Amino acid sequence: MKEDNFEFFWINSDGEKKLATENLVIGNQVYNEKLITKKGTEYRLWDPFRSKLAAAIMNGLEIFPFKNKSTVLYLGVSTGTTVSHISDIVGPSGIIFGVEHASRVARDFLDRVASHRANIIPILQDARKPKEYFSVFGKVDVVYVDIAQPDQTNIAIENCKMYLKKDGYFFLVIKTRSIDVTKSPKRIVEEEIKRMEVYFEILQVIDLHPYDKDHAMVIAKFLK
Amino acid sequence: MYSVILTEFGIVVFKEEKLEKVFPFKDAVKDYISVKKKEAKLNDLVNYLGPLQRGISVSDESLMTLLKKNSIDAQMMEESELETIQSTKPQIIVDSGFAKNVPDALSKLREFAMGLSSSKVTEVSESPDLHIIQAINSLDEIDKIANGLSSRLREWYGLHFPELDNIIDSINGYSQIVLAGKRESLTKKVYEEAGFPDSKADMIALLASKSRGGDISDINLAIVQSIAKQILDFHDLRKKLEAHVELEMETVAPNLSAILGAAVGARILGKAGSLKKLASMPASTIQIIGAEKALFRSLKTGAQPPKHGLLFQHAMVHAAPRWQRGKIARAIAAKAVIAARVDVYGEGINKTLLEKLNVRVNEISKKYENPTEKDTRKPELFRSDSGESRRREGGESRRREGGESRRREGGDFRRREGSDSRREGGDFRRREGGESRRREGGESRRREGSDSRREGGESRRREGSDSRRENKNYRERTNSKSNKNKKRSKFERR
Repeated sequence: MKEDNFEFFWINSDGEKKLATENLVIGNQVYNEKLITKKGTEYRLWDPFRSKLAAAIMNGLEIFPFKNKSTVLYLGVSTGTTVSHISDIVGPSGIIFGVEHASRVARDFLDRVASHRANIIPILQDARKPKEYFSVFGKVDVVYVDIAQPDQTNIAIENCKMYLKKDGYFFLVIKTRSIDVTKSPKRIVEEEIKRMEVYFEILQVIDLHPYDKDHAMVIAKFLK
Repeated sequence: MYSVILTEFGIVVFKEEKLEKVFPFKDAVKDYISVKKKEAKLNDLVNYLGPLQRGISVSDESLMTLLKKNSIDAQMMEESELETIQSTKPQIIVDSGFAKNVPDALSKLREFAMGLSSSKVTEVSESPDLHIIQAINSLDEIDKIANGLSSRLREWYGLHFPELDNIIDSINGYSQIVLAGKRESLTKKVYEEAGFPDSKADMIALLASKSRGGDISDINLAIVQSIAKQILDFHDLRKKLEAHVELEMETVAPNLSAILGAAVGARILGKAGSLKKLASMPASTIQIIGAEKALFRSLKTGAQPPKHGLLFQHAMVHAAPRWQRGKIARAIAAKAVIAARVDVYGEGINKTLLEKLNVRVNEISKKYENPTEKDTRKPELFRSDSGESRRREGGESRRREGGESRRREGGDFRRREGSDSRREGGDFRRREGGESRRREGGESRRREGSDSRREGGESRRREGSDSRRENKNYRERTNSKSNKNKKRSKFERR
């Protein structure tokens, strides 16, 4: 990954180069991450232990389709840690549709992230019913799925069919322990990938160790 | 051909791709939800569409149902049409006059999404079962805190009056004596107010006069007394919470609380997350809720699955002999899930559930009165890599069998959740336990309680008092470990 490709940055902090994004809302912290100002620009450190996308970058992510002005459909925003960084990256003209079903974490998400960032459209809906999403329009450049359900791959595919552009990118976090505890993580990832291959060209599979145990990130391109 | 489109801000009617009529919502979020819930009254729209009667296609299923209710023959649009609407939504919103231009439409859409999401959060937060869950969790947490504080009080005041620890079991009575002050100032009146019988009062007075304890300074005593005050306050709060949970369960989930009892019902409700989630669970899940650790071990290694999790606290289960508990837990879980469904989707109280459960439990206790050979024999070893891990867990394979062992296994998980303090030997919980258990286990457990307390105290003292606060976590860990080991050996001896 090239350094400083204007999507995310490597910032010196505590004698180490650390991942960061340019803060969209100056002075705003989301999860008590460190804010560092360099040459008049404020950066937010991006903790790979908290965000699986950051973990994927640390473990050698090759394609990074989140760009300025991108539109993103994000399933499973939870409290909005990762979403806040994507919001930094896509900037004021980008749009993120953030879907979350659990009202407890959505409360934090609305408070800490969505209400401060104009490029996020929060959707409190079950990802199993993509037709019911409100305020969503058009097709998006990237679909990012982190929902930890046994049938997550099917849910993700249904969402992609409705909302992902042709040749759009698809990020799927596989938490193997949520799919089946009795099977080996490796086998589960293989099975899920097989399911995806009908609709997607698989570009990369990243093991998120040591940031997350038994998690994998699959990056794919939508063919239909 | 008329196209009726539901947008976030109102319902729009197009005729042959041309805007015909707009029915804006008064309150976008509220009206949108009421359409989605199929509760809206769309008089204007119905009056407008009524005379047309043919060739009406709709963009939303709930809207279609609503129109059909008003005897308007509406059809769903085709997929391709829906897709076009979806992709040109901001433009439609501008065309309908809801927004000035596309960027304005975007910001309005976002505003709408924020409003709708917020109202959903509010709606969920208002449901009474969430409050029950908070109450029962508070109750369990208070048990934990009060138990810890109780042993601390016994330790500290024990420096001054060590003999008191062994004669007074109830932490309430103990706290009341501590509140009275030093040994010398204990009078008959204090004992009476604390509710001790005369024989006990005489004994305390005798011991007080020739105690081996050292003197305690006024400053120290003042602090010890405020701890005692706290414990008494906690006790009051606990009582209040218990009554509150019982009352709320009666109103929110009367059937569930009839089958499980208010406290156990509320704990299971807490694990499920909400009454609705509980109602959609299979009975087998309810049966082992709280025994996740044992369940996953069983799935991974093929060991015997747990018989009961939180349900072990149910009076019927833990009063029953060991070999009947699994069967009874299964019967209770099956009825509990039906009860939850009645509570969510039905009405009133269904008495046959409890009657049938009682019949079944009686049947079990008759049919399986004596343990079969299978129940008494030692189960086969289920781990080939026995060495290290098995030794750590006590090395006794019979632990898989009984209720005690279940309690132990589930312990780690449950302690983290703060839902089970029974094992701590706490006074608070002791009173709650079923009659029979108190009779059987009370004696030895009480002894255990004080043993481990002493042991725990020992290690804590060694750590020094200055670092106590920093080491809180560590201390808890070592403490619970030593308690655990101690208890395990007790159980096995018994």
